[in-house]
Amino acid sequence: MRYFDARVIENRTLGNGYFVLRLGGCDSLAQSRPGQFIMLRGDWGRDPLLPRPISLLSVAPEGRADLLAKSIGRGTRLLEAATHGTRVSILGPLGSSFPEPSAGRYDLFVAGGVGLPPLFMQGEHASRRGLVDHCEMIYGGRTSRDIVLLSEMRGLGLATCVATEDGSMGRRGRVTSALEARIDHHRATGRAQALRILACGPREMLWAVARIAEAQGIECYLSMEEQMACGFGVCLGCAIPARSRPFRYTCSDGPVFCASDLIIPPPPTATESAP
Amino acid sequence: MSAAPVEPTRPSLAIRCGGIEFRNPILTASGTFGYGKEFDSLMPLSALGGLVTKGISPNPRCGNPAPRICETAAGMLNSIGLENVGVEGFATDKLPFLRTCGAKVLVNFFGTTLDDYVDCGERLGKLDGVDGLEMNVSCPNIKAGGIEFGRDPQILGDLVRACRKVISKPLWVKLTPNTSDIVALARACADAGADAVSVINTITAMAIDVRTRRPKLATTFGGLSGPAIKPIALRMVYQIHRSGIGIPICGIGGIQCATDAIEFFLAGASTVQVGTQNFIDPASAERITREVEEFCLQNNVSDVRELVGALKRQH
Repeated sequence: MRYFDARVIENRTLGNGYFVLRLGGCDSLAQSRPGQFIMLRGDWGRDPLLPRPISLLSVAPEGRADLLAKSIGRGTRLLEAATHGTRVSILGPLGSSFPEPSAGRYDLFVAGGVGLPPLFMQGEHASRRGLVDHCEMIYGGRTSRDIVLLSEMRGLGLATCVATEDGSMGRRGRVTSALEARIDHHRATGRAQALRILACGPREMLWAVARIAEAQGIECYLSMEEQMACGFGVCLGCAIPARSRPFRYTCSDGPVFCASDLIIPPPPTATESAP
Repeated sequence: MSAAPVEPTRPSLAIRCGGIEFRNPILTASGTFGYGKEFDSLMPLSALGGLVTKGISPNPRCGNPAPRICETAAGMLNSIGLENVGVEGFATDKLPFLRTCGAKVLVNFFGTTLDDYVDCGERLGKLDGVDGLEMNVSCPNIKAGGIEFGRDPQILGDLVRACRKVISKPLWVKLTPNTSDIVALARACADAGADAVSVINTITAMAIDVRTRRPKLATTFGGLSGPAIKPIALRMVYQIHRSGIGIPICGIGGIQCATDAIEFFLAGASTVQVGTQNFIDPASAERITREVEEFCLQNNVSDVRELVGALKRQH
């Protein structure tokens, strides 16, 4: 964990509020592992006050780090407006990472919307290690406008299956339906024993993925998101109920957790899930 | 032969507050600095005047359900629930590092009954490496229907007096701002034998998510901290100082830079604690220490003690 200043060297708009921020001066992040994150803050004065936790999308030599974000709140809106040369302070790399890709396993990456970065980075990592054939991306969003960086994933050689809720791209429906279909496919081809699920996305999606994994007896890792002030186990704000202890911390125990250690809530009732 | 350039004389930052001699007047606040070790790679802890640990209770506590924090305008709310490792866990796992950290160590502590406080304070006070204790009196008093111990001068005085009897080390009391008379609370502490008051703890507050129509914190109410509360903290420090009680004051509330700290000194605080800023800029406490020295140099202040209570009257 290092605390340092970096500068924006490129801000690439992807449409629909999505953007990739390329930072320079991030040599301290060179050894970051997929799933890890940084706490980032610009010269924002007193509002917003706290730094923002952001997953790494990619790190490269010469101190370059890429982040993918969507402009939703005050912090991400300010980041979206950042231009070349904008100074940001960074604390990182922080937190836990996904398990290493392995020739003996086959990993199903399940990404929902802006939950893509850690799984993209895992795909990049697998590609560098010559193991990209041992994983695939199942990537979901509300519409085609929530699906980004497809050509980059193709460039890694990462097989990608897209699902959109409105059917505007790929399979129509939720990413969890696509996941179930892919599990069925792998069962039919005799690969079921090797399967692992690695997921990142909205909380309800992650719980649904964990329930599918549990029902099917598949090892599952979830990258969680929670409100946090510090990012390194001091504020204790990011508590999450767990089996091994009453609470675990998203920043220092996570953000990647083995799903079997988390207390997965039951599926929402019809009333709760109604819009 | 030209004369060697004259180095400006470094100002003296050393100060005594509440029975403890500090290298400088910058401390870090309980709940924002863990048990010290978390910040070891971010700054030399020996550069600080002191640090105040996370609040310790007699036994470990696991804290409140999530969400526990939320950001507000120029501040944040927290309702962590005083999660901590307990006296034994602190003595075994946390204190060995603190003994070597080079800063003065104050241990914040609390209980849910008077007996709890006394037991906790007595055990912590006997530990080697603890320079002083800071009582958190913002906890609900179970026997008095859950009202904070620290809101009633009588109850507060009794609590401090009971702890004072069993604690020989310096004893500070962290006052709650959730009161209409902060001076009465400070006086109760002074009369009961406290060595200093830390002013202030967080302000009870809430935030609402209009989309879900629910409170943003699982416990509905939490403590507001950060720059949003600085003017209130400053006012309370000044009221206590001006009252003439004479108890040393450690100022706390929204300190982000040397100017903020110096405002507290002028209002009457002899030390300050940096709190929420440790989350925003985790190396800030050391930076503020350097900035205070710089301020003194630039303003011909040879000793930081000259600033304490040096507020001039408004014309």
